Amino acid sequence: MSSTLYVERASPIHRLNPVTKLVALLCLLVVVFAIPQWWASLAVLLLVIVPAAISSGVAARLARSAGQLLLPILVVLVLVQGLTYPGGRTVLWQWGPLALTTEGLMFALTIGARLVCLVLASVLLVLTTHPGDLMSALTEQGMSPKFAYIISSTLQLIPSFQARATSILLAQQARGLTVPSNPLRRLGVLMPLLGPLVLGMFTDIEERSTAMEARGFGSTARRTTLVPVRDTRAQRVARWVIPVLALAAILVSLRWIG
Amino acid sequence: MIVLREVSYTYPEAADPALHGIELNLQPGSITGVVGASGAGKTTLAKVIAGFLPRVDGGELTGTVCVAGRNLAELSLVEAVGQVGLVIQNPFNQISGAKYTVREEIAFGMENLGTPRAEMAARVKQVAALLRISDLLDRSPYALSGGQMQLVAIASMLVLRTPVLVMDEPTSQLDPFGTRLVFAVLDQLQQAGTTVVIFEHKLELLQAHADRLLVLAGHTIVADGSPTEVLADERVDGWAIGSTRYTRAARLARGRGLLPVHGALPVSFEQAAATFGGAR
Ligand SMILES: Nc1ncnc2c1ncn2[C@@H]1O[C@H](COP(=O)(O)OP(=O)(O)O)[C@@H](O)[C@H]1O
Ligand SMILES: [Mg+2]
Repeated sequence: MSSTLYVERASPIHRLNPVTKLVALLCLLVVVFAIPQWWASLAVLLLVIVPAAISSGVAARLARSAGQLLLPILVVLVLVQGLTYPGGRTVLWQWGPLALTTEGLMFALTIGARLVCLVLASVLLVLTTHPGDLMSALTEQGMSPKFAYIISSTLQLIPSFQARATSILLAQQARGLTVPSNPLRRLGVLMPLLGPLVLGMFTDIEERSTAMEARGFGSTARRTTLVPVRDTRAQRVARWVIPVLALAAILVSLRWIG
Repeated sequence: MIVLREVSYTYPEAADPALHGIELNLQPGSITGVVGASGAGKTTLAKVIAGFLPRVDGGELTGTVCVAGRNLAELSLVEAVGQVGLVIQNPFNQISGAKYTVREEIAFGMENLGTPRAEMAARVKQVAALLRISDLLDRSPYALSGGQMQLVAIASMLVLRTPVLVMDEPTSQLDPFGTRLVFAVLDQLQQAGTTVVIFEHKLELLQAHADRLLVLAGHTIVADGSPTEVLADERVDGWAIGSTRYTRAARLARGRGLLPVHGALPVSFEQAAATFGGAR
């Protein structure tokens, strides 16, 4: 029962402080979406994302996960924009009322390249960063521990609530409940089972809050952490330098290209 | 150490009190066992002693609860939990969900209280060794069996070293080995001066380890004394708390005519040895 996509590897990307990765991801996305030229996204892809993916040791997994997400979107994007782009003048190919235009394809390329960067970079972060480490790192940067708790526990408790729902259903099936294949009737049969599930969840929430208080969650003491978050001076500097570089790139593109 | 005077508690919107007329005075460094049928009020009493009722669940509490000479109602919740640790009944709900390894899960409470890192690491190691869960430390808390999770839940409270520890059915998911382990740990806690209140069904172990046994029935304390005294009480069948295996064996023996019809039935191993030795 694992709720994380994290893949453990001993790579330099895994070893980075999660906040460094988060800052890099955000800057990268701002650059890609702020600079309108498609080749800017391509450059980011080839110069940053691909090398990072290769050194992370999870490139194959990344290609698979991101591919599943991207492929249908890209196909639709190329077809729809290529054929129906309103500003399309240069017709490459025509079939009845449908015309494939260069302008449409260029527009699809611009949007598509950005999406590829967005998805690849985000999935790479998720694959190489343990959510627990991300939460500790963000708490260390001043994020409220209560907020961190809500995120982590939601991530971890969803699978266990799913397991409970399954076990309630199994228990009912063992007592002769049959689940019809007709979706409407199925809903009718399953609705009453929501009662015990929701009731159980409320009792759990009450008990959990008791247990959390018993473990000093309400304490105002300065919190400590058992496992230190990996960080280096170079990364602390990089977390300032990367946004500055991103800003510079955007300014340059506005001044000389845009 | 813990004094309850005329304590009654009613849950919000409940018609009748879940506890009434509770009088209790627990000596520092003692192990007190509390037994009672389901619904007798064990969990409620555990939460009252730990200062969670009415603070967390609402409802109405009358009477006073004092811990270490201070009225719990006048302490903040954080101060109260610093005095009394509570192992809740369902270990699954004791696991925070915020941590991805057992090691960090056990340290979670200490992190909240700002314990220095080196000390946390040392305490986690010590508690894990005590409960024989050292090999689980790097696992996910959600990839454990019910029994393993229960030991982790107990460890997560033990590690806080509160002067008082209240445990609500802490061995419900454990095998006999784990159960004996927990009771052995209680003996060690007692030697270190911790006051323990354990809500449990396993009478033989309570008889062997507890200094004092309370019986909850009908939402109040109906018996209070040494385990041997309480288990030998003639009203014991009416409390629905069961009986020890020694008593059951003697009752069987009596039914088969192996023991005299009159006289008290044994409640402890020593008494059983004497009874059966005498019959031979
Ligand atoms: N949250 C609640 N609201 C109302 N009544 C409750 C609540 N929790 C427990 N009770 C009632 O209080 C009584 C004692 O419950 P509890 O302390 O959980 O018993 P035990 O732990 O001995 O099984 C029971 O009658 C139960 O129905
Ligand atoms: Mg209970």
